[in-house]
Amino acid sequence: MFLEIKGLTKQFGGLTAVNQFDMYVNKGEIVGLIGPNGAGKTTLFNLITGVLRPTRGKVIFDGEDITGRKPHTVAARGIGRTFQLNPLFANFTVLQNVSASFHLHPRSSLLDIYFNTKTYRRNEAYILEQSLEVLKLVGLDRVKDELAKNLPHGYQKMLGIARALAVKPKLLLLDEPIAGMNPDEIDFTMIGVRKTQQQGTTIVVVEHNMQIMDLCDRVVVINFGHKIAEGLPKEVRENKEVARAYFGGEHAA
Amino acid sequence: MSSNQLSTSSASEPATDKRKWANPSILAGLVVIIALLPLLLSSPYILHISILIFVYIIASVSLRTITISGQFPLAHGAFMGIGAYLAGMASRWLGWQPWLTIPLAAIATAGIGMLIGFPFSRLRALYYAMGSLFFGIGVIYIIYAGGTWTGGYAGLIGIGGMFGGSRVAYYYFFLGLALVSVIALYRFEFSRIGINLKAIAQSHLVASSVGINEGWYRILAVGVGCFFVGLAGASYAHYNTVLSTSSFNFMATLWLVMYVLIGGIDSFAGPIVGTIILILISEFSRDLKVFSPYLSAGILLIVVYLMPQGLVSLPQLIKSRLFERRKEKKISHVPGN
Amino acid sequence: MELAVATVTNLLILASMYILVALGFAFLFNMLGILNFAHGVIYMLGGYIGLALISALGINQWAALIISAVIIGAFGIFLERFCFRPFIGNFNRIVMICVAVIVILQTSVNIIVGTQITSLPSFAEGVLRVGLASVSYERIVTFAIGALLLGAIMWFVNRTKWGQQMQAISQDMQGAFLQGINVHRISALASFIGCALAAIAGCLIGAYLSLGPFMGDFMLVKVLILAILSGVGSISGIFIAGLVLASLDSILPLLVSGAASDAIAVGIVVVLLLIRPQGFFGHEMEM
Repeated sequence: MFLEIKGLTKQFGGLTAVNQFDMYVNKGEIVGLIGPNGAGKTTLFNLITGVLRPTRGKVIFDGEDITGRKPHTVAARGIGRTFQLNPLFANFTVLQNVSASFHLHPRSSLLDIYFNTKTYRRNEAYILEQSLEVLKLVGLDRVKDELAKNLPHGYQKMLGIARALAVKPKLLLLDEPIAGMNPDEIDFTMIGVRKTQQQGTTIVVVEHNMQIMDLCDRVVVINFGHKIAEGLPKEVRENKEVARAYFGGEHAA
Repeated sequence: MSSNQLSTSSASEPATDKRKWANPSILAGLVVIIALLPLLLSSPYILHISILIFVYIIASVSLRTITISGQFPLAHGAFMGIGAYLAGMASRWLGWQPWLTIPLAAIATAGIGMLIGFPFSRLRALYYAMGSLFFGIGVIYIIYAGGTWTGGYAGLIGIGGMFGGSRVAYYYFFLGLALVSVIALYRFEFSRIGINLKAIAQSHLVASSVGINEGWYRILAVGVGCFFVGLAGASYAHYNTVLSTSSFNFMATLWLVMYVLIGGIDSFAGPIVGTIILILISEFSRDLKVFSPYLSAGILLIVVYLMPQGLVSLPQLIKSRLFERRKEKKISHVPGN
Repeated sequence: MELAVATVTNLLILASMYILVALGFAFLFNMLGILNFAHGVIYMLGGYIGLALISALGINQWAALIISAVIIGAFGIFLERFCFRPFIGNFNRIVMICVAVIVILQTSVNIIVGTQITSLPSFAEGVLRVGLASVSYERIVTFAIGALLLGAIMWFVNRTKWGQQMQAISQDMQGAFLQGINVHRISALASFIGCALAAIAGCLIGAYLSLGPFMGDFMLVKVLILAILSGVGSISGIFIAGLVLASLDSILPLLVSGAASDAIAVGIVVVLLLIRPQGFFGHEMEM
């Protein structure tokens, strides 16, 4: 198991956002995490990446217990993520957004950075090259000098994904990546996600939109903070519990 | 983001932007002229004002450096005082020489800044501002309570000077100090360190998700900022040989903030411009005697209401006004009218 | 025994004065998120205007108190309308404006009055004797005015329509606006009241203690401490914080030197701020 979540619980005062949640992800899989709004999907991501501390439970990644570790440590371990509301470095250009995100790879030491040594310059040149490649990959190379805040919504989401890729993640957590995109952008993103998986990245996708299930090897369903179903996309699609969670009744998916 | 409550400089200016007049040859030329000043005008008064300008340039630029990370310190005057008093006391009571007191005081100031900053910088920006505000006030009270050691209300006197008191020598010393500090802070901001700080300021969530240790970087910014303001304070102590808390109290902090805001918090040159303009105004309006503060207040109001981006934006404002006029003229000359 | 009585009465007076001035600051802070750093000089100006009215118009100090309150209150309306309202949410510009106001007012006072210490005529003469203790009527009257005003303000904030609208705005400005509350008018009212209270405190302290060029700075620190420790959105918190601070300011100087007691008091504030940065009684600030 590449990522293992055991008994993860998060309580905010009286409210339990995530409740005894168990989940596992195998290396190279694409796992979908679906559930209605407010089910706890983003909270789960926040718990994994260290933005929130769990009340109870464990998160084990690639054999290492990363429960409660700070976000930057988690990123260094190889977990990248996007955010649902997609915050960006608004006043940076598209290119700067990505190149700033190459903080970890390659890592220049503080002295190298400050004194502009050969190592630093070499690293920066490499980062620039890699940034342009990533931008080409997500189709944003033509707007690389636009300020991020001026981009249309779909482009911004692409930028968020580009930024997450800059971490060279072994595990990529995508939080509602296609929300607010038009059909072309959605197709493009789904192809990109598949390609990323083929390059060896394990992916967990949170989505409210069930379309994403076509991509997934497995799907986990969450509602009110705990797991209500798990299995192949086809199975989940036909699961009555899931239908009830989404539609409050017996409807065909 | 910058329309939010505590608006800090962060990155309206993208990381690699360099203004036209940051052209190295122009700058070098300016520096040469400034360096030659004492030979042209040997008035001690002008030299004194220039020295003050150099000191406060270091202080204001270092203040802005801290704001890059999204934090807004309200104790920078007090930190200058910490540097000044530490150096002054070491000189007065321990007989230490300036080449020892100045760097040590600067390091100590940085250390104290980081110590205080550490618990507060992990909280939201407003809390760091408030915490530093009260810390700064507390420092002044501590100096008052220091009795003979700090000179208390009367002030500290008898600090050792440098260069046998030669004002020209002081001038070149402070010119050099200001140059080195400004260059050091410039490099800090426009290297990847500065980029990371600006990233944290814009979205600490995203920044941490790409591996940037926000807590560490924030403390670094505070440490660097406090180091240089401590440096300025300590050097000032050895120049003035006399210290009083009125130079380092909350109003002094507010004026440093004014130097930054008036010049333009979004630009590296902003604090430099702001410092020079405000100090020159306050000195040259001495003829107005007691009325001179009104002039400074007037400048503040003009900038607030008319120049939101600070004085550095003045050339651009003028240019866009002229541009509009020209456009109107062109349109009225369309044939067939 | 004398000392105890004097300390307690002093404590009560200080507390009521601190709270009186801090309320004005808190109104703007709670409702509009504005840190009016100029509130200290406004307080000072109130005292000096009172003095000026007495010497220029020959009226008694009670009339001067009221007229000064009205004048300063009007100034508060002007400030809110033209200096703060256009820049709500923009901390940088508000700070700049406050500094400009501070400089203008402080300079004006320095020019007109100079830097010596003066004072207002006291609001009451004589001494009351109860058993072994004696208290000056001045202290009683000063505290009485303060307490009465504070009571009136609490009644106003909690029981009148306007006061409740003020509370609504400080909880959620947008929501209040959508409910049909005239945010502008209520803000102006709050500013008027806040500045008038500060002016009254200025006159009272001007009579009880003195008028000096630094009284604004002195009060600003107290006000900031009360407002920040209490937190956004709580008026009763100001009362409690005021009592605590006044206690420290009355009792500590008996134990250590004046400057040291100030330092200790601020040190305690810093520690408290670390324990609970959003204040002890208010709600979380949105940033």
